Amino acid sequence: MTMTPAVEITDVTKRYGRTVALGGVSFDVRPNELFALLGPNGAGKTTLLHILCTILRPDGGTARINGVDVVRDPRKARRDLGVVFQEPSLDDRLTLYENLNFHGLVYGVPKAQREQRIEEMLALVELSEWRERLVRTLSSGMKRRLEIARALVHQSRILILDEPTVGLDAQSRERLWEYVHRLRTEKDLTVIVTTHYIEEVERCDRVCVIDRGAILAQDTPAALKEQHGQELIRVTTREIATAAEIAASYPDGTVHKDTEVVIKSQGDAFMEAFLTRYGGRIRRLAVEEPSLESVFLSLTGRGLRDQAAGARELTYEFGKRGGEHTK
Amino acid sequence: MTDSATQQPAKPQSPVPVPVPVSVPFEMTSGLRLQLAGVYAIWLREVKRAVRDRGQLIGGVSRPLLWVIIMGIGLNPYFRGEVYGEVRFVVPYTYLQFIFPAVILLNILYTSVQSAVSTIWDREFGFLREILVSPLPRATILLGKVLGGTTVALFHGSLVLVLARFADITLTPLDIVHGLAIMFMLAFALTSLGVVIANRVRSFEGFGVFANAVILPLYFTSSSIFPLDPSLTSAQTKVVYPEWLVIVVEFNPLTYAVDSLRGAFIHFYQFDPKLGPIVLVIMAAIFFSIALRDFQKA
Repeated sequence: MTMTPAVEITDVTKRYGRTVALGGVSFDVRPNELFALLGPNGAGKTTLLHILCTILRPDGGTARINGVDVVRDPRKARRDLGVVFQEPSLDDRLTLYENLNFHGLVYGVPKAQREQRIEEMLALVELSEWRERLVRTLSSGMKRRLEIARALVHQSRILILDEPTVGLDAQSRERLWEYVHRLRTEKDLTVIVTTHYIEEVERCDRVCVIDRGAILAQDTPAALKEQHGQELIRVTTREIATAAEIAASYPDGTVHKDTEVVIKSQGDAFMEAFLTRYGGRIRRLAVEEPSLESVFLSLTGRGLRDQAAGARELTYEFGKRGGEHTK
Repeated sequence: MTDSATQQPAKPQSPVPVPVPVSVPFEMTSGLRLQLAGVYAIWLREVKRAVRDRGQLIGGVSRPLLWVIIMGIGLNPYFRGEVYGEVRFVVPYTYLQFIFPAVILLNILYTSVQSAVSTIWDREFGFLREILVSPLPRATILLGKVLGGTTVALFHGSLVLVLARFADITLTPLDIVHGLAIMFMLAFALTSLGVVIANRVRSFEGFGVFANAVILPLYFTSSSIFPLDPSLTSAQTKVVYPEWLVIVVEFNPLTYAVDSLRGAFIHFYQFDPKLGPIVLVIMAAIFFSIALRDFQKA
């Protein structure tokens, strides 16, 4: 049986002048999946999401939301979407309730259900007691939570979160993810999230690694690690000579700090052979699990948090949007 | 965004999630009912924001006070039966009465154009996106926005009416209804104009300067503070006033709006009474269309 994918992106391209923001990107997101788009700033994640939200038209390709084409029928497509943008989009001179009520009205939630739905969503993100406060008095973590609540008031089936945890402290980030995971199980939601924090995608169902407008890999975090990540063995030897010997016998081994050597692991049999040969001569041995960080590094050849490049790309992004959204 | 605000939610979180009431799925409204709900939501937001903005309200009260009580009363004695060269004309109203409808226009003008600031605000602070990704068509969004601004402007215009007795104007209920209808059209046209300007100006700072550069010339050349006298023929008018000024005044659409307001409140017209409403409807249609075209591109 084939299910209609919640989101279906086929060969989407987008250029800003001569800059290629997206060069033919395709992927499907299954219903009830937690799908992460991972990539550095300027990779094209936000552009892709903006095309999905129908506020940007693709130059080529199609994007469908529950089978509805976002270019042909944007208004129908938007009904199923709940969006939390990277920049806050609340009216901070209205109260929490008023913000949610506005959203409910604009999306056509009937009056009888609106009240109930608003209470439910406020309770969900634990903001009920702040109901009558002006949004400007909230912390940034609370604002984010409110935006998530708002995105769900109209029974959206697909929740899009663009960098939801940027600018939040560790505690708020943790809490926000708790809500997202809880929502997915309780509300049967499909969640698409973009992030450049690697630790955040560990708990996602599938990860799509994107850089410079192209998809580099797309799989479950475990599979990605298996394919592109490498288990490493860090050995500290008793003598310098042993370290050199190990490094010489394993071509990809590298010596750090005289007695410390790092080699790539090749499974259990390898480990056994290694230990029988060097077991008596080493002081310490540590197995390092492959991380998504290393996966990303091997895929793109650069770290995710390349901040210098990030800032410049942010400036470009800003220019491309026509100087809109000054931060 | 302040540090103190960030520390606020340090409420210990219970490890067990609180059970949440789950609502059953329901039908969403669509079609005309959705459009109406959308217009209402956007209108309500504009009005609420305006009510909470004390500065705007203070401006709305102080402006007519200045113009009517100080300017109007101050110039009142110099207005009647003045001699201009060889022509002497007698006007059937005092300067206060004459300027009163124009002050209503001024208040509406300021408030309408100011309300466009909220458009810039929305774009700058991201709220526009929240509206743009909703299932509402752009026309509905714009209509809600313009009606919201219109309502606020209409309210500020009505504040001037409270000063009617200082200007020696007696208002019958019919006058008020007539006047409000004109004021509504005017406010609608000017709020649309404000949105058109806001779409072309990208910063708050720019808008302030630009708005004043539009508002004051429009106001001064709308026959608001001096009359192109009705008892003079067009040739005679050009003797009294320099020709260019007469042309500017006659081309300024607000001249006809002021004329309509005078008709409503002091029963005096310089032009054909039908001309005012026609000009206002055309203005509203043109500015709204331009605003809509801009908005659909956004």
